[in-house]
Amino acid sequence: MSKSKSGQPQKRFQRKGFKILGLGLQDIIKYFFGGNASIAVVVLILICAFLLKEGFGFFPSYHHELKEYRKSGQEFVAYVNQEVDAHTRIYSDSNIAYYAELNRTSKTEDNILSAYRSVGSFVKASTSTRTERLERYFDRVEEISEKLEDLNKPADPAAAEATEPTAEEKAAKKELEESLADYEGRIESLKVEVSDMRKALLADASIWEHVRPGVVLNKAEKTLIREAVMHDQPGVKEKHPDIERLENEISAKKKIAAEELIGFKETVSALSKAARPLKSFQRDLKDIASENAREGKKFSTAEARYKALLEGAEKKSDPAEKAAMIAQAEAVDRVAPDYEKLTAPLIAKVEEHATLSRELAAGVTRLVATLPGDLKTESAQLNLERVRNNAEDFPKLAEKSREGMEKWEYDKSVSVLRPVWAFFFGKDWVSNSSWRDFYGLLPLFTGSLLISIIALVVAVPFALSAAVYVNQLASIREQNFVKPAIEFIEAIPSVVLGFFGILVLGTALRHLSQLEFLSWVPGFPMSERLTILNAGLLLALMAVPTIFTLAEDALNNVPGALTENSLAMGASKLQTVLHVVFPASASGIIAAVLLGFGRIIGETMVVLLVAGNKIKIPDFTEGLGVVTQPSHTMTGIIAQELGEVDQGSLHWGALFMVGLVLFFVSLTINFSAQQILKKLQKI
Amino acid sequence: MDHELILDNPDDNLPADKDSKPVAANPFATSSKARRIREIVFSNLLRLGAYLILLCAFYIFGDIVVKGAPVVFKTSAPFVNVDFLTKSPETLVVFETADGVKHQMGFSDYTQFKKENPTTEIVDEHTHSYSAGGIFGPLVGTALLTGICIVVAIFVGLTTAVYLNEYTSKGKFMDTIRLAIMNLAGVPSIVFGLFGLGLFCLVAPVITADVQERALFSIPIIFTDKYLSFQGWGQCMMAGGFTLAVMVLPVIITACEESLKAIPMGFREASLALGATKWQTIQKSVLPYAFPGMLTATILGITRVAGETAPIMFTAAVAHKDKLPWQLDFAEDASVLTKAAEGVPQFMSQSVQAMPYHIYTVAARIPQSEYTEPMQYGSVFVFMIVVMMFAALSVWMRIRYRKKVKW
Repeated sequence: MSKSKSGQPQKRFQRKGFKILGLGLQDIIKYFFGGNASIAVVVLILICAFLLKEGFGFFPSYHHELKEYRKSGQEFVAYVNQEVDAHTRIYSDSNIAYYAELNRTSKTEDNILSAYRSVGSFVKASTSTRTERLERYFDRVEEISEKLEDLNKPADPAAAEATEPTAEEKAAKKELEESLADYEGRIESLKVEVSDMRKALLADASIWEHVRPGVVLNKAEKTLIREAVMHDQPGVKEKHPDIERLENEISAKKKIAAEELIGFKETVSALSKAARPLKSFQRDLKDIASENAREGKKFSTAEARYKALLEGAEKKSDPAEKAAMIAQAEAVDRVAPDYEKLTAPLIAKVEEHATLSRELAAGVTRLVATLPGDLKTESAQLNLERVRNNAEDFPKLAEKSREGMEKWEYDKSVSVLRPVWAFFFGKDWVSNSSWRDFYGLLPLFTGSLLISIIALVVAVPFALSAAVYVNQLASIREQNFVKPAIEFIEAIPSVVLGFFGILVLGTALRHLSQLEFLSWVPGFPMSERLTILNAGLLLALMAVPTIFTLAEDALNNVPGALTENSLAMGASKLQTVLHVVFPASASGIIAAVLLGFGRIIGETMVVLLVAGNKIKIPDFTEGLGVVTQPSHTMTGIIAQELGEVDQGSLHWGALFMVGLVLFFVSLTINFSAQQILKKLQKI
Repeated sequence: MDHELILDNPDDNLPADKDSKPVAANPFATSSKARRIREIVFSNLLRLGAYLILLCAFYIFGDIVVKGAPVVFKTSAPFVNVDFLTKSPETLVVFETADGVKHQMGFSDYTQFKKENPTTEIVDEHTHSYSAGGIFGPLVGTALLTGICIVVAIFVGLTTAVYLNEYTSKGKFMDTIRLAIMNLAGVPSIVFGLFGLGLFCLVAPVITADVQERALFSIPIIFTDKYLSFQGWGQCMMAGGFTLAVMVLPVIITACEESLKAIPMGFREASLALGATKWQTIQKSVLPYAFPGMLTATILGITRVAGETAPIMFTAAVAHKDKLPWQLDFAEDASVLTKAAEGVPQFMSQSVQAMPYHIYTVAARIPQSEYTEPMQYGSVFVFMIVVMMFAALSVWMRIRYRKKVKW
């Protein structure tokens, strides 16, 4: 080792660099990187902070809203609403039953007629531009003929005989005649064109799409409808004879059926009449409560308005204007409304309600008992069954709401936990209503969950079988094709899938559901195009690549020794896969499925476009048929409503709360999946 | 484990000597016919599963190509529908003149037509929003959004990855941060949209002369009459780009870190042993080898970002815009310098049209009719092809990179 003159060892591996604030170049570089890393971390923390800030502001304001709901007496009215709604259910079910029974004998004819009407109106709409033009031509022809007649019959017949028509008149007449001929020619060709168009339209099988779902027609009926529609050319007034015959038959049959069911009908209309007093009572109460709610709202903004006016006054330089504004500010009514006084008229009506409600309950029980027990239509029988069940519960419900109303107090305190409960377990999501807004997560959460479950049920078997196949059974060449191809599906943008769902899959599913031999499937035929099922299927396709890739990785990580041992023991390839490889990679596969679930529950565009966006808890009484209903989701509601909401309003807070729920749901799912994977790596 | 396997063996049924002890079945015997059939059926079922998935994907792809390609391509020269790619969306007007001739044209052409033929009687006029013109505006918007996003995300993501992998020592804290980042990769994109709206559109700082009431707080800047106001950028390109960047950050950090981890420690140790500094080591013997992996991460990020709709719905995208992003308003006598000084903020703070949002609009927010279909399928086709091309590029690069780099 060489030595410097001074005898000290030279520091070969050290260079003297410049320093700023005691930091060398290396340190600066390090802190630069570190600084960026902390930016990333800070931003990621900010996400949580923001969602929490906006979201938790929601609960206090929702608490205030619920207090207002109580103070204004709207809660009191809700008891009556419940009774009226229950009665409406009973009435409408029995009404449906009545009509189903009434139309029983003429069902085929009804179907044909309704199909004829829908096809006819479709054909009419598709040819409308031409038929309208045709009608214009008719008008023109009429106009010209009138003019011609005027020319032929001059005002004074005596004078006409005397004078020969002048050359001018002759020319005009000739011109008119020519244009008449021209128009007539046009009409003829247009008529041919229209009838050709109608023929072409009717020849296409797709016209049956316009028929009401559930109507199934045979070949002869279809021919009849085609003929009848073809018969209804523009200008033809009388109906096709067969259609006329059908109409007559239906009315005759209905007449007979109506005579048979006369007692039924009277009961149904009596049921409807029975609720009239209660309904008008409800209207009165509602008016009072809405007025109270308005007073409350006015008071809650009064203070802010007062301040704003004062501030505005201060900025004004003109003393007169200033004084006027201050006077305006002073005029703002800032006295809290006296809720006791406001709700007094409501409470005064408790007695009246008790009488009305008892009467109605008695009436419903009496009337429902007189409903016929032996209907011939199955659906009507089912409806009546439901009516009887509901009617049995009705007196209890009425009793309950009577009790609730008697105990009700406008100034009973609203628990702090009430908004939390009302948000997470509320069954209504109502915004921008004139009555009162409610933000309950349940309909959205059920929708999201149901869609995800369908997606998983479809995706998991396919993705896993593909993973096992590619990893264990396929040849190298096949692997090199199938694997990237499936991974490629991930790149299809979700909005494209949603678009496909609207335009292609929705229509295709509806067609499929209308096939006669599939009518045993629950929920078929579907009346909607955009349904839970449709969204679930598309999301399944989105989940497949995620599940496939991760599951394939998990299968890949199974130690080779396990497989080789199994094969050496004489097990076949398939036995090895099912009994050795699969169990060994089980936790990895579970993680894969969990991550797939996380991906679909957070998906927005597909559900926004395809799920139907109806805010209602799906009706589970239909069994599996529930999947053919439209629904709304947590992600969809944010995307749909956030654009139209004022910053900081209650609705805004509610949407951020939904976002927060989504955030934590997906974090939990991801975290548990990662934990499982971590454990797997340790083995 | 599989006891039945041995019992089922046909060898079992062979007559054995009475005296001899029971012989264990031959484990090397070929399996029975029934089992072999079962095996074939089962593996074919698995194969069917794999191919059905592909079939579905190809059907979707095919449907869009078959219906979308005719809109974008033509049978005559120049074979591409130039108007569709170079015009912005506008309202389609369908009408008939009195002589029964049917016309379809964009709104600007329609006004032109009316001007040229003032006497023509127009009957039966229908309008269809966004169904005429082309998709130039949305395409440009998406490119800009993606560009801003990728610049930001790569800068922050790459440096974070370098820091996490090269500078930090292993520890609980770093593991927690890594876990947090990985978990955030799975957060729904709509949540990032909410966040972007809350932070970038409504709170982020901006230098302005007029402070809005909703501003969180504002700080006056000395020597000027302007304020640094925390009132947010509003719905604009920059807010959208940053939101997308935050969304894609976890993906990019994770992918970059993976590619850094793949470089053997020996490279770094050798460099350090030769006396290179930490930065020289990173600069000369780590980053160059990690470059292909990082490029793949970038392209993966682009694929992710370009297809997203939810985060830009409230932060950047609008359905309709007359001007292209670079058509800015200036005072007439503005000098080049003021133009540059005003232009950049003006450019960044405008809302844009974007492909995914445009598709959402034409697919769900306007009434459907036969006239909107070409626009729908055309946009979807172009959009899908662009996104898929980036995806294909990233797949191809990954495969090539895997084959090429071996140490």
